[in-house]
Amino acid sequence: MRTAALPVSADQPPSTDDVREGLARNAISFPDGIPGFEACRRFVLLTSDALAPLQRIESIEGPPAAFLGIDPRLVLETYRCRLSDTDLRALAADGDATLLWFAIISEVDGVLYANLRAPIVINPQRMIGRQVLPDDGLYPIRHALTTKA
Amino acid sequence: MLVFTRRRQEAIRIGDRIEVRVLRVGRDGVRIGITAPPDVPVHREEIYEEIRQANRAAVAPQVDLSALAERLRQP
Repeated sequence: MRTAALPVSADQPPSTDDVREGLARNAISFPDGIPGFEACRRFVLLTSDALAPLQRIESIEGPPAAFLGIDPRLVLETYRCRLSDTDLRALAADGDATLLWFAIISEVDGVLYANLRAPIVINPQRMIGRQVLPDDGLYPIRHALTTKA
Repeated sequence: MLVFTRRRQEAIRIGDRIEVRVLRVGRDGVRIGITAPPDVPVHREEIYEEIRQANRAAVAPQVDLSALAERLRQP
């Protein structure tokens, strides 16, 4: 399921040309950008053994932006989020599409949090992504993953 | 800013695709209905702003994530 959208390894830096070609081929388009980074319309997913199951979501267009994300179901087993028709349409996803979900990870005063409220959702079949903002958000923007050291 | 006075059930049209209608006027708030095409995102401002700030704060956390990754790999 994941391999479709896990194109570039972050472990071994390949040559610049390889990177450029690889990035272009594996770019995921975010037609609406991401709130706060509206100018970034193309991102890639980067994976590495050291960071798994975390993944990097990195902008390859516009201002530099890199997020760390994790499947929200690895954070909360019971995680459920209903996508609106608007979201499904934007992702060009029909009912059967397998979507990739990422809760963005942030750090405040040494504590790591996952944003379960507004996950990034990617349709790997169409290479389209979007941050969804459910109005009836049941989950917090900051769900603690660690405790203060 | 363009400013209108609208009464209950009166609306404003923005272009030919968006309608903003006043549904109810109360003491503390106004209930508004928005009709917009699916490709036009509509959000409460404070929610959008909150997500925006969370995103900006999230960019490349400067902490060691290997411990967290290690823990998450445990079943």
